[in-house]
Amino acid sequence: MALFAMMGVLLAQFWLIYAHIESVEVERLTKVLKKDADTLSRMPLEHLKYVVSNHIVGDLHILVNRVEVFTSEHKPIVGNMPIWPKNLVVDGKLHFVKVHSENGKSYSLHVLAVQLSCGSFLVLGCGLRFLIEQKLMLQRAMLVSVVPVFLFALFLSILLGYHALSRVKKMHEAIQKIMDGNIHERLPVSARQYDGIEQLANSVNHMLDKLEHLMEDMREVGNNIAHDLRTPLSRLRARLERALVIAEGGDYTASNKVIGQAIGDLDQCLSVITALLRIAELENSRRKEAFEVVCLGDLLNEVYDLYEPIAEMENKQLLKHFEREDIQVLGDKHLLIEMVANLVDNAIKFTPEEGDIILSMRNTRRCAVVTVTDTGIGISPEERQAVLSRFYRSDKSRHVPGCGLGLSLVKAIAFLHDAEITIDSGPKGVGTCFRVTFHKARKISEGGGKIAAS
Amino acid sequence: MPEALQDPEKRKVLLIEDDHVIAEEIVSALDNRGFCVKHVNNGDAGLEAALNDEVDVMIIDRMLPSVDGVGIEGLSIIEKMHQQGIYTPVLVLSALSAVDDRIDGLKAGGDDYLTKPFVVEELLLRLEALLRRPSDTRETRLCVGPLEMDLVERRTWCNGNEITLLPREFRLLTYFMRRPGQVLTRAMLLEDVWQYRFIPRTNLVDVHVGRLRRKIDLPGQESFIQSVRGVGFQLRVSD
Repeated sequence: MALFAMMGVLLAQFWLIYAHIESVEVERLTKVLKKDADTLSRMPLEHLKYVVSNHIVGDLHILVNRVEVFTSEHKPIVGNMPIWPKNLVVDGKLHFVKVHSENGKSYSLHVLAVQLSCGSFLVLGCGLRFLIEQKLMLQRAMLVSVVPVFLFALFLSILLGYHALSRVKKMHEAIQKIMDGNIHERLPVSARQYDGIEQLANSVNHMLDKLEHLMEDMREVGNNIAHDLRTPLSRLRARLERALVIAEGGDYTASNKVIGQAIGDLDQCLSVITALLRIAELENSRRKEAFEVVCLGDLLNEVYDLYEPIAEMENKQLLKHFEREDIQVLGDKHLLIEMVANLVDNAIKFTPEEGDIILSMRNTRRCAVVTVTDTGIGISPEERQAVLSRFYRSDKSRHVPGCGLGLSLVKAIAFLHDAEITIDSGPKGVGTCFRVTFHKARKISEGGGKIAAS
Repeated sequence: MPEALQDPEKRKVLLIEDDHVIAEEIVSALDNRGFCVKHVNNGDAGLEAALNDEVDVMIIDRMLPSVDGVGIEGLSIIEKMHQQGIYTPVLVLSALSAVDDRIDGLKAGGDDYLTKPFVVEELLLRLEALLRRPSDTRETRLCVGPLEMDLVERRTWCNGNEITLLPREFRLLTYFMRRPGQVLTRAMLLEDVWQYRFIPRTNLVDVHVGRLRRKIDLPGQESFIQSVRGVGFQLRVSD
């Protein structure tokens, strides 16, 4: 393909050179003929006849091949062009016409006709012999040059192609290894070159990094599930065995009690599965399509109303402090309620009696910030990142019931809403402060300008 | 059990469920409660029964086997029923528990959606609720015993004395008063009164019901809203 293109370019180049030479040559001939015609037409007729009859055997013959003086009726007087050429117009311009010679042969010439002062016509004709010679030379030069150029191009393309192919082959081998299960393998990338293939390899490598990361996440979750399900399941098994033994002994009240506990264990397993499914559902971000404008104030009030009685019952105080209530974000109302509810639920869970939990909301130009602050046991700085991952349970929280998935659910919901979660210590270093930051302006503009940016 | 649907006194249930352990459990529980149950275990028979048998309520599983091996989506049975003008209440029973699955189920015409695993008691109470759907939801005044509600003016009285309720408490009491004597589970209350599809914490409903009780109950008397142990709550009707 490239070779054909190269041939084409080569041919076009020669053709251009030829066309240029031709135009220069024709121009030159025009000048020569005009100058000759000018000189000749100034001579008296008799002298002209003499010059012309001399010319046809003399030197000028080389350049001006044909010359003839015609009467005003186009009858030949003297010269070597006995017949007035057809289509010849007397306008001082060069015409390419067919000319007949004395021996009856005809050939094409560039011809110039001028009218003399006596009314006769002087016709000068000139062939393109130089041009034909040059054309021949060019053709020969082309033939001589095309072959080596062609061979050189062929050589070069094979070399380059081999180089490219060997890189592709290396990549193919790497991909084969990855397909065979070696997920740590990457496509070869050299810092030396930076071209399309390199960019592609880089993108593929980034994709593989991401996939590997996801796979690791999944493996970790799998291990966690195994761990967190195995514990209650083994407990369940032990309980059922005990129930069987007790029932064999005939004490059905006791065996029923154990079976009841077993059902409790089973419920815990099921809640772990449900929570994991919920998180998986959220991480599949199809939900975003159903986002709508949600008033954060209404939402937080709802969560406040939901949990205020619980806090009161547990002898804790749930307070709210909203800078303003009309802050809006784009999102899924139910999920956002679930997220805030989870945070408040956690805060209440980890706050000792007489403690305070503050639900607050701030509005800055760019973002809306929801914070849930408690005066509870707090989370040490090292643990802050870990608590957001699945199944993580602080040693301090082992005695509190829960499956360890609440905060990862919060994280998943926040992630879906492009919101950020940060964890700090509460005021005066006591307790914990969860901060959810919604990037407001961008969300609202994405919402098709449903509401004006406040 | 074709003769099961013969008894004219009993309420009839059609159960379309392919897992025979679950089906047996449901059939025996319904039997104990005095329902007539017809059980079919595949989609084709299920569709035929749904279109031809006259029953009071149906329980339909979502992923059902069929003769052609492709399987039948339980929801398509409901759609076909509706095309034929059959609007028997349907409880959809499914292991598909995602929020979207639930929405799909209710959109397709299911009247209630219960996810597996479930507590049989919950299923029975939901069936009862479907059978005793509040007949006229346009009613603007509710009266149960000494309790009285005006839904337009959003006011509540007990023995003629006005009680001030918060909006959520008002909705909770409305829900109870539309279903007097009926046992309502915590999940039903969460779904219908709060419209939450997640379970925030187990005692949340109890705490709110407790608050409502304190507002409406008369001192020294038994509470209007009784706890049904391990299940839920019930608005006492006594007059």
